[in-house]
Amino acid sequence: MKPIDFHLHRPTTLAEAIALLAEHGDDAKVLAGGQSLLPLLNFRLARPEHVVDLGRLTTLRTTRRTTDGLTLGAMVTYARAEASRAVAEDAPLLAAALPFVAHKPVRARGTVGGSIAHGDPAAELPAVIRALDAVMVAAGPRGVRRIPAAEFFVGNLVTALEVDEILTGIDVARPARGTGAAFTEVGRRQGDFALVGAGAQVTVADGVVVDVRIALTGIAGVPHRATEAETLLTGVPPADLDLDAAADATRAVIAPSGDLHATADYRRDVAGVLLGRVVATAVERATGHAHRAA
Amino acid sequence: MRPRRDGRRGCPVTATPSAPAAAAPDAHRYLSQEAGVREDRRFVAGRGRYVADVTPPGTLHVGLVTSPHPHARIVDIDVAEALALPGVVAVLTGAELAKSTEPLRQYLDVPEVQWRPLAVDATRYAGEWVAAVVAESRALAEDGAELVVVDYEPLPHVMDPEVAARADAPLVHPTHGTNVMAHREFAWGDVAGGRARAGATTTVRTRWNRNSTVPLETFGVVAAWDPHRELLDVWASIQMPQFPDQLAGALRIPTNQVRVHFDIDVGGSYGVKRGIKHGVLAGFLARRLGAPVKLIEDRSENMHGGDFHGPDRVFEVELAYTADGEFTHLRIDVIDDEGAYPGRSPLQLAKPIGAIVGPYRIPSVEYNATAVTTNKTGQVAVRGFGQSPTNYAIEAAVDAAARDLGMDRLELRRRNFIQPEEFPYRIPSGTEYDSGDYPAVVDKAVRAADLPALIERRDAVRAEGGLAGIGFAACLEPSGGNAIFENVMNPRNDKTTFPEGCRIRVDGEGAVTAVVSISSAGQSHDTMVATLVGEELGVDPAGITVLRADSLAGFPSQSPVGSRMAIVLGQAIRGAADELKARLCAIGAHQLGLAPDEVRYDRGSVVAHADPDAAVGWRDLVAIAHRKQHLLPPGASPGLEVVHVAHTPRSGTLAEPDGTVQLYPCYSFEVHVVLAEIDPGTAKVELRDYVIGHDCGTVLNPEVVRGMVYGGTAHGIGVALYEQFAFNPDGQPLTQSFIDYLLPSAHEVPDIVDVEHCTPSPYTTFGQKGAGEAGYMGAPAAVAGAVNDALTARGAAPVHSLPITPSDIWSALRATREEGPQ
Ligand SMILES: Cc1cc2nc3c(=O)[nH]c(=O)nc-3n(C[C@H](O)[C@H](O)[C@H](O)COP(=O)(O)OP(=O)(O)OC[C@H]3O[C@@H](n4cnc5c(N)ncnc54)[C@H](O)[C@@H]3O)c2cc1C
Repeated sequence: MKPIDFHLHRPTTLAEAIALLAEHGDDAKVLAGGQSLLPLLNFRLARPEHVVDLGRLTTLRTTRRTTDGLTLGAMVTYARAEASRAVAEDAPLLAAALPFVAHKPVRARGTVGGSIAHGDPAAELPAVIRALDAVMVAAGPRGVRRIPAAEFFVGNLVTALEVDEILTGIDVARPARGTGAAFTEVGRRQGDFALVGAGAQVTVADGVVVDVRIALTGIAGVPHRATEAETLLTGVPPADLDLDAAADATRAVIAPSGDLHATADYRRDVAGVLLGRVVATAVERATGHAHRAA
Repeated sequence: MRPRRDGRRGCPVTATPSAPAAAAPDAHRYLSQEAGVREDRRFVAGRGRYVADVTPPGTLHVGLVTSPHPHARIVDIDVAEALALPGVVAVLTGAELAKSTEPLRQYLDVPEVQWRPLAVDATRYAGEWVAAVVAESRALAEDGAELVVVDYEPLPHVMDPEVAARADAPLVHPTHGTNVMAHREFAWGDVAGGRARAGATTTVRTRWNRNSTVPLETFGVVAAWDPHRELLDVWASIQMPQFPDQLAGALRIPTNQVRVHFDIDVGGSYGVKRGIKHGVLAGFLARRLGAPVKLIEDRSENMHGGDFHGPDRVFEVELAYTADGEFTHLRIDVIDDEGAYPGRSPLQLAKPIGAIVGPYRIPSVEYNATAVTTNKTGQVAVRGFGQSPTNYAIEAAVDAAARDLGMDRLELRRRNFIQPEEFPYRIPSGTEYDSGDYPAVVDKAVRAADLPALIERRDAVRAEGGLAGIGFAACLEPSGGNAIFENVMNPRNDKTTFPEGCRIRVDGEGAVTAVVSISSAGQSHDTMVATLVGEELGVDPAGITVLRADSLAGFPSQSPVGSRMAIVLGQAIRGAADELKARLCAIGAHQLGLAPDEVRYDRGSVVAHADPDAAVGWRDLVAIAHRKQHLLPPGASPGLEVVHVAHTPRSGTLAEPDGTVQLYPCYSFEVHVVLAEIDPGTAKVELRDYVIGHDCGTVLNPEVVRGMVYGGTAHGIGVALYEQFAFNPDGQPLTQSFIDYLLPSAHEVPDIVDVEHCTPSPYTTFGQKGAGEAGYMGAPAAVAGAVNDALTARGAAPVHSLPITPSDIWSALRATREEGPQ
């Protein structure tokens, strides 16, 4: 479990980092918090000849509030995001999901951008990003691109980023008043990558649910945006929400696979259970009281 | 001198009226005190010294080429490219190694089963070592290993132990002719009578899937050969009896040329740190290359190439009982999957014979044990040496019988417990249990758990539509390990003692040093030895130095296996202390002009029986012994240096042909009570309350015992709910790192309440019994029992395969939804 011999680069500017990637292309890998990349290197599953450490790019470590939301620097650690008031207020679903990511030591180093760029379908943040329709900002030799979440996650550990692009930040829109969010998951142990996870953000206005965003982890190669459930829940007064029907709608369209830790049937069923739970909690948070219909 | 052997037994901390030999609380000065654990200082400060910290100048590092196939013929190995890599020093293949070494030891009589550090003609599991690359660094060695080209011809493989036992199964060792390595059928007691008296029987099939103790420190070894002194120095993270001798044997060098250093901290083991193949490989390379060689497993190698998996068993247990729930007969059929190379692991089927009826009165027993090979990683000794899976199977059968009888599970147990006045109690398989008071321990645990309140909480959860259950397990920890099970499984192994030694030296200034020749893997032997020597001599343990002699400077020792050190080393310390005191008494008596039997030793002084004021103090005694020949009794030798080697208590007999034998001497008891709640939506288990009643006789150090109880329980919770070394049908390991091999963390292990009870053993120096396997012996059964209580209350079938995953629970619940009324 020793990595192959590689060159470590520690650029101090984004331009320098991009130039390194442009030069080494396929032979290079970006290093953020290292919480996924270092095991991959040690197992020799990743074999880059050049590793470009983003640790000195301090500009990527900031969280900025904008007129319509939040721009999270890619190198903001989970721990910093968890402690951020801006995140709590402007991205409540992200705030709800962060405590579920791994354990504190991993959250102290792992980064928001690293998780999203890694694109693990079992990870919390990609699902949150997908639910929120956040926009990924990527910089490369050909300039800056803005990539919507719906296009960003392409497959298991595959994203729309090109090999010479760096994810610099994530734009998250500020939710309307009357919004609540919730995240939950089930894993074999606390801190493990979950067997299934679910996040929901619900906005209630004038006594009806006007916006629902639900995404699931662990049931496909990319986060599952549960539009089939969202459709059933939108436009309905909170007290009349049929969460069982929503859960069943999602169970009907997903096709998770089974492994050592849980069968496909288990994942499918529990995805529906968790979906019901997070929507109920999100509605409660949006309205200030419980609404779960019997 | 005072007849201490009878007078100083007892349980000062937890003396209760039911503890027969409970002595006055002041009978012990240092035992049983909350006196701290001296090892903690260095571990907490990060100053342990592990094998990875040992790097002699010029050390070379080993990387391993491992088999990707579960079974394959090795057609060709091309090492040229690897050898050409700068920094690579040598590449060794199995064929080359086999030329100048002996195969590794098999404990069964299976000459056709050849186990070697590197596979020779065929590989028999995915992960098996095929070649070793030696380089200037471990990273370079791994680079080299990638360049070794092995041409394999895949062969049919078998992964399921029951399939492997069939006549038409692919053979793991074709020349052996069968995958069945051992099959023994035992019947003890009046089987026909026991069956005839039964009104009914309950049969359960339980599956104990493969898990192990998975230490934080992987196995490591450093070997260095000095050709001028003709000495092989070995530092290894071992916990293995006869390691030096087996190393020498395999390397074909005299045993007195192998010096294993025991002053190395071992970062966890509980049985698994055997590493004989690692040692032979490193030792061979060190001699061949004339340089120190270091082999530290990485996590994947450890998990799949280290041959350290634990028992992997299928049980069928049939319990027969009367209408009142009195047990009349027990049948246990078990198949154990040894993996590719059986080694010592099949003996783990024999040890449970010494506690085959658990804590119950069961007059007759049939025990049919089969060991098979498959194309899985090799198995090795794991905490309890086969006892924990057996305890789980028995307890699962007891729970199932209670369900069939419609009887309270605890009541059924109580009804069948061996009663305190029945000890020593001979079980049908010939072993005598030394002592115990099972009802008293259960009472304590029930009180500490506030069982009625626990039941109320469980029922409240159920009333709200939730799932909750309470689990119980009552079981024994045989302790004071001897190796007589070797003889049970293979009559040609006629070893009947398993000794342990200790040296006590009092130097010229009167300071006391105790020397043992074992390494420790977290069992706090420094604390134990200092405490016991202090108690024996009446000197403060804090001032006693404890050292580890190497294997050549030391004395016979079997290493801390079989929950035995408090017992057997305790015996050795008693022997050494008695000899030392006899010498001091001789000196003192001579000085006082008295006969040796007119004085006694008392806390460092020699005192005349007749006149307490006539005494010779420590300083004078020491000075005479070391420097004043003119004051020594005539013929007495100088110095105060004593070595004593002790047998295991009650050892020394071979097994009868029917397998009856006195196995271990001491039997600790524990009962677990646990409340589990299960999320009905996700089927996830949360353990809410966990109480253990535990009786290991006299507690030498309460903190150490609690550590064993807590850690062992965590280990057992892992077995019940999380841990498994899994393979897919293609023979590939699915658990190669801690991503998939799930150890319970502080999140998963609830607060554990341990209530101690003390029934001293009559066969040990202070009434102590073993505690090293505590917690682990009962937790799997208790946790599974709690889950099954929740499931069966819902009409679901109990799950009898460990670990129980949320997915398993969900499937069991779904079956009721599908079958039951809509
Ligand atoms: C014990 C443990 C438990 C874990 N449990 C969880 C869990 O429950 N949930 C979870 O989501 N994750 C979990 N993880 C993974 C963790 O969240 C990782 O931190 C995260 O996946 C990657 O973030 P990082 O900053 O560490 O990225 P790195 O490991 O440094 O990089 C990950 C990948 O992303 C690429 N990358 C990183 N940053 C950028 C960038 N700005 N632009 C382009 N590419 C980039 C890298 O090249 C690499 O391929 C766990 C990790 C560990 C060690």
